[in-house]
Amino acid sequence: MATVSSAPAPGMHQIDLSKLNLQQLAQLKQQLDQEMSVFQDSLHTLKVAQGKFMESGECVEKMTPECKGKSILVPLTGSMYIPGSIADTENVLIDIGTGYYAQKDIAGAKDYFKRKVAFVTEQMEKIKALGVEKSKVHKAICMMIEMKLQAQMQAAKPSTS
Amino acid sequence: MAEEIQKKMQKELEVLGSIQKEFRKAVAQKQQLDSQLNENKAVKEELLLLKKDAEVYKLIGPVLVKQDLEEATQNVTKRMEYISKEIKRADDHISALENKQEALQENLTKLKNNLNKIKAKA
Repeated sequence: MATVSSAPAPGMHQIDLSKLNLQQLAQLKQQLDQEMSVFQDSLHTLKVAQGKFMESGECVEKMTPECKGKSILVPLTGSMYIPGSIADTENVLIDIGTGYYAQKDIAGAKDYFKRKVAFVTEQMEKIKALGVEKSKVHKAICMMIEMKLQAQMQAAKPSTS
Repeated sequence: MAEEIQKKMQKELEVLGSIQKEFRKAVAQKQQLDSQLNENKAVKEELLLLKKDAEVYKLIGPVLVKQDLEEATQNVTKRMEYISKEIKRADDHISALENKQEALQENLTKLKNNLNKIKAKA
């Protein structure tokens, strides 16, 4: 669960694209492609995490005091269930990371999942903004490559016009 | 003379390659440490939010073992300190490798220039 900082990395500086040659531009484009795919991956992972937190939150919503004593099937393995009944509807155990589980009451659990969803959503927004920024630069580089190529072609056959 | 330089360049290139490999490994390791630190941070925040009498369990193998909240918080804090130290070490390692890479690259450019000069003379 990494936090994303939207501040520019130290050591970053502006480069005039028109001063780079084709090879450098291609290299830059490749680098950007890579970065953008990393963003896509992170976004996907966050989406999955968000879904899980939302699902858990919905499950907690369904845990009402009326559920007490109701029978459920408890999965022992992925394919084997045994009947059981709900003894405690007030408290749930939540995995808070690094192997720690904390007991929370229903209100606390709801709050926990709400916070987690908000956190993940916030990170997603940040990554999306970064992605937009990168794709803008990507477009600019593509345009510059196009321009350079055309200029080269023009230079190669100057007597056609 | 030219052959000698070429041999030297070959050697330097090999060294550079291995250092680059090590560099990538170090960066990956640092990223892993970073994510561990972040997870621990989130856990600590969560532990601090809990009520004093809240029950905390730790997953050891397949079983949940009850833990003292105080102890758990201390444990996480200690782990964060340890990871922070490890990150610092990784950072130092990375910058050392960076310096080595730069020095090697400079050396290589010099060798290349020498080689070109000799070739131009011949």
